[in-house]
This record gives sequence, structure tokens and C-alpha cells, in this order.
Amino acid sequence: MDPTTKAAPETRLRVLTSVPLQEEVVLVRIDLAGDEAEPLLERGIVPGCRLCPVHYAPGDGPVVCRVDGSLVAFRKEMATCLCVRSVQEAMGLLDAN
Amino acid sequence: MADSALRVALVGPPNSGKSTLFNQLTRLRQRVANYPGVTVERCSGAATVDGEELEVIDLPGIHGLSSRSPDQAVTRDVLMGMMEDERPPDAVILVLDATRLETHLMIAEPVLALGLRTLVVLTMVDELDERGGELDVAGLSERLGAEAVLLNARRSESVAPVRDFLRALLAARPETQECPAVLAVEPSARPGRPLPLVDQFKARRRRVEAIGRAARYRVPGPSKATQRIDAVVLHRIWGPAVFLVCVVLVFQSIFRGAVPLMDATEAAVAAGGGLLEGALPAGWFRSLLVDGIWAGVGAVVVFLPQILVLFLFIAVMEDSGYMARAAVVADRLMQRAGLQGQSFLPLLSAYACAVPAIMAARTVEDERDRIATIFVTPFMTCSARLPVYALLIAAFVPEGPLLGPVLGRRAAALLGLYALGLAGAVLTAALLKRSLLRNRSAPFVMELPPYRWPMARSVGARLIGRAKVFLVRVGKIIMTVSVVLWLLARFPAGPDGTAPAIEDSALGAVGHFIEPAVEPFGFDWRIGIGLVTSLAAREVIVGTLGTIYGVEAADESSPELQAALQGSLDAGAAAALLVFFVFALQCTSTVAVMRRETGGWRWPALQFGYMLALGFGGAWVANALL
Repeated sequence: MDPTTKAAPETRLRVLTSVPLQEEVVLVRIDLAGDEAEPLLERGIVPGCRLCPVHYAPGDGPVVCRVDGSLVAFRKEMATCLCVRSVQEAMGLLDAN
Repeated sequence: MADSALRVALVGPPNSGKSTLFNQLTRLRQRVANYPGVTVERCSGAATVDGEELEVIDLPGIHGLSSRSPDQAVTRDVLMGMMEDERPPDAVILVLDATRLETHLMIAEPVLALGLRTLVVLTMVDELDERGGELDVAGLSERLGAEAVLLNARRSESVAPVRDFLRALLAARPETQECPAVLAVEPSARPGRPLPLVDQFKARRRRVEAIGRAARYRVPGPSKATQRIDAVVLHRIWGPAVFLVCVVLVFQSIFRGAVPLMDATEAAVAAGGGLLEGALPAGWFRSLLVDGIWAGVGAVVVFLPQILVLFLFIAVMEDSGYMARAAVVADRLMQRAGLQGQSFLPLLSAYACAVPAIMAARTVEDERDRIATIFVTPFMTCSARLPVYALLIAAFVPEGPLLGPVLGRRAAALLGLYALGLAGAVLTAALLKRSLLRNRSAPFVMELPPYRWPMARSVGARLIGRAKVFLVRVGKIIMTVSVVLWLLARFPAGPDGTAPAIEDSALGAVGHFIEPAVEPFGFDWRIGIGLVTSLAAREVIVGTLGTIYGVEAADESSPELQAALQGSLDAGAAAALLVFFVFALQCTSTVAVMRRETGGWRWPALQFGYMLALGFGGAWVANALL
């Protein structure tokens, strides 16, 4: 079952921009309108997938994340709308359910 | 190629190796055009299999089939047979990068759902092996319900399975096929969106994961080379430094490196004109051919070296994977002006020439941002403005230090003009994004491909394509304008058929007619004519003023021409003329290429009117202040 669909303390959620580089996280929720989220969704960035920020571009620029075998960059404004949870917590929720 | 030839569409995400495969199948015999009514390029070519030809269409690189971007909408319409005057394809070759399979498989489902006979081509298999990835292609094929083959698109012999697929197509007319992975056509292809998008894509992602498991797909490890290079080019300090080096390199190559080639082209055009002149009897026909048509064509051809140099850089940066990183590094800076990271290169290139720069704006994905980029590009100080600036600055700004030995008055004046143009671009972009091109900040989502060596054949094919587009499409328009200007300057002819003095020509009449309109800026009819002729190209005003003032072989360094200008313009009028040249869009090549790139006259007309108004407004203010 998708671990992101289970009720979980919202306080455990973080926005992607607060995740340190190289920490893998699970995407829980996308707080964007459909049209804005579509470029992410088309690339398989959907709730439940794993993201790993690998670079923050210079000058407060876009975030570069590893998703599956791909590197995808998006602006910080978009990254702040991606709610994530650590992989351990997500797996723990999965086990608990 | 016969109209009845089978048609095969190449579909896939950007940087999946689609165009490389296209070049191999068509052996570079390609035609580049636009789809009707839109600015998306239609690239097609003929593939020959056992002596029979098939038409291969290279569709834009896409991640989905929604109508969010013109590229996606065109791809969807072509595949679904909804494109005007375009037969639907008989089959599809879906090209996916095996190293990024799970991401790329997201596009497979809506494509397979169309029911067209499909070959799934998995590229970059050598990289998949090197980086420890695994894939059972038979399992993938079975699960997708479509034939799948592995391919290293960089090796010509490895396209044999694709040719086998084309051979089978020719042997038996394709029929639609069912695909077990498919549930429905892309929902956004239909009116309305009955289900929440996120749920639809989550479901699709689960099916993609199931397909990956069935195909025993193991995600390859990250490319070490890509990691090492990215550690530098995306570094907080080294990233911008590398970016600046690339920027300077591109700028220098266009601005300086292309100059010898441009000079050689100009000399060849002049020599060709001389040969024509010698071969034809004197008369209006020779003048029309040599001074009108040949000179008009020459004015276009001379830009070709700059265009090729610029597109060589673009092709190398795109194919190597750096272009996506450059867009990421520049994005924040461009965002402040209401644009996107990809806008940076076109704006930079425009310092050499707006024509290739506008063509380079194709790299900007979002349509509104692309139009905004094209719109502000002519504000950047192109090389054609320099002769005019040099002439007027030399005539009216006394030589001398302004900041000690660091900055002289004339250099400061030149820098000021560059800064004024840049300010015009930034303010116009901000204005556009708050009015005509207002939208929510377009989502900037960019996949960064692994670094790869560019292939000479692929780069060469793109350069040839760009050259053809430029010469054929833009040439027609500028030739027409050149002939019209020639007619105005040559008529009414004298009794012996010779051209009249410019003051007595139709062009001169235009100058006198507009004199009352230019007087408020401190200009007389002579400058008025210069302004009219400079509509073809800015630098033309130097030669025109030389003709009017009777200065032989006038150029920007002629002391006689400078003295003549000092006699007819005061300081306010000179400043007004400079400001006018900073803002006004006097370049038929730019207008022509803008018409092509925006798919109509609306934007060029608006652009021309806006910049002309800004030019005259600025000139009036400058004349009033000084």
C-alpha cells in the first residue's frame, strides 16, 4: 500500500527545500494546482516516489533532485510545495499498516 | 516521396536519442518546416528500406500528451490524426532512454493507448550496462504488448532492428493493436478533466513500476562522470564561473570569431554583384537585379556565419547536456526579469545579432516566455548599431578622460547606450509579463540528461537545417523589402533611364513628407531619409547620409561625414538620434525572422510599433533635455 496515503502526524512532514543534500525522502503530497503539478507528474514525480536533492543551484536557484535514474530540476517555489517524509518514517508507516 | 508512402512517427522524451535515430534512418535527408498555424517545427525525412521509401517524422521531445505546451499539443494532434492537412502516422517508433526507463515509461502508456503499431526503442544500452543497470527486453516487450528492441543509436549498425520493423511495415499494412498496459487515452486530451490529475498519474506510475518489475529492470547507478562535472558546473561559486566562461566564449565567437567569415561572405557577395553587373547591359533591369535583389540576398547571406557559429554552440551545449545546466544556473537571474533560464542565451547572442538570437529562443519551452524573450531580444545592442554609435559619438562626444585612465568619455557614452538598451529589455519584459503575456510563473521543470559527447553528424544536420530555414524563409521576405526600397530610391527615373538624385526620388519625397514629423526631435529631411532607409538595416543610415552629404566611401570613421553631421545636428538632436537607435526596431531581417518564429505578423507589428514609439519618445525627451 502506498505509505503516503496513511494518516500520519503532519508535523513529521517537511518541505523539500528543508531536506539536506543527498538525503533520500518520499514524496507525500504536492500542494500545487493540477496544471502547475503536471510537469512533475508527467516525469513520474507523484506521491509515493523517492526524491533525493543532489544540488541547490547557485543564487537561490532551482533544486536538482535524483528521481529514479533521472536528474530533474525545479524552482524552489515549486520545491516548497512538495511535502516529503524521510524514507525511514515512510517505511515505518508502511510496516505499521 | 509519394503521398501514399507509409508514415512513421518518432516519439519520445527530450534527449532520449530520438533525433540521432532519425538522422540514421533518413541519412540526413530531412525537411524542416513549421506545422500550420503554430511555431512547432515539423521535421521529416525519407527512410529507404529495400528500395521503398517511408516518411519518418521526428516529433518534438515531450513528456506527455496534454495541451500544456505547443510541442505536446502538436505531438498529440499528429498522433491522433487531428492535425490539419496531415495524415495520421501508420506506425510509431517510441524512443526511450534505458538509463531513465521509469521516468520515460510514463509517456509509453498514452502513446500505446493510441492503438497505432508501435516499436519501442530503448537507447543508451551501453550506458545502462556500464552503470550496472539491467533490463529484460523480452519481458518489457511482453508486458507492454509492443515489440521492443535495444539500441545504441550512436552506432549505425545497431539500427538494424528498426529497419526490420520498417520492412515488416512495408510487407503488411499495419493494423491497430491492443496494449494490456493501457487503460485510456491521456485524459487531458479530452475536454475537461474528470479525474484529479494526481490520482491518474499515481495510477500510471504504479503500472510503470509493475512493468519495470516484470522486465526485471534495475536502475543504473548514477553516472560518475556526470556527478563529477555537475559538482563543478552546479557549484555555488564554480557554477556561475563556468557559466560566465561559456557566455564569454559564445559572445566572443559570434562577435569576433564570425567576423572573418562574414567579411569573406560579404566580399563574395560583392564580387558576385560585380560579375553580374559586368555581364548585364546597363539599365533598370541590371540595377534591379544587382542593387535590389542581389544586394537584398547578400544582406541576408552575410548573417549566415554568425547564425552557424551560434547554432554550433547551441548544438554542442545541448547535445553534451550542458545547456540544461546553464538554464538552471541562469534561471534565478532571468526570473527576476520575468523570463526563464533558457532565455539567457538568446539575449546574450543578441549582442551580436538579433536574427540568430530570435531563432535561438526556440530553446525556451514555455510559449509566453519564448514570445517575451523574442520581444525583448532586439533591445540588446547588436553589432549593426555600432557603426551608427561610433559615427555619432565620434562627431559629438569630445575625446577625454572621464574616470582617469580607466574610462574615457566616448567609452562611457558607448557603455551608456548599451546600458540603456539593456534597461529597455528588462523593463519591457517586466511590462509584458504584467500585461499581454501575464501568466502565473510558468513551471520550470527540467530534466538534466547525463553528459555525453556530441556527435558530429547530429550537430552538422542541425546546422544544415538551420541554414536552410534561415536562407529560404527569411530570404524571401527581406528580398521583397529590398526590392521595394530599391524601387522607391530609383523612381521616377530620368529621361535617359538613370536614377534620380535621392532628394528627387520617391524615397526623397518620403523624406520631405515625413520631415514635419521628425522636426520635433531636431532632425531634418536628410536624417528623415536616413531613418527611412535604416528601416531595412540600422547601419544603412551611415551610407545613406554619406550619399546625401556627398561624402565618397562614407563609413563611421569619415571625418567629412562627422563634420557634416556637426553642421546639421545640435547636441540635443544627436542625442535624440542615438536614443532613437537604441530603441527603434530598424532591421527587416529581425522583423522577418520574428514573423517566422511567432507564426504571424501580430507580434512583429506590435514589436515594431512599440519600439518605434519608444524610439521617438526617447528621442523627444533627449532633444528636450539637451
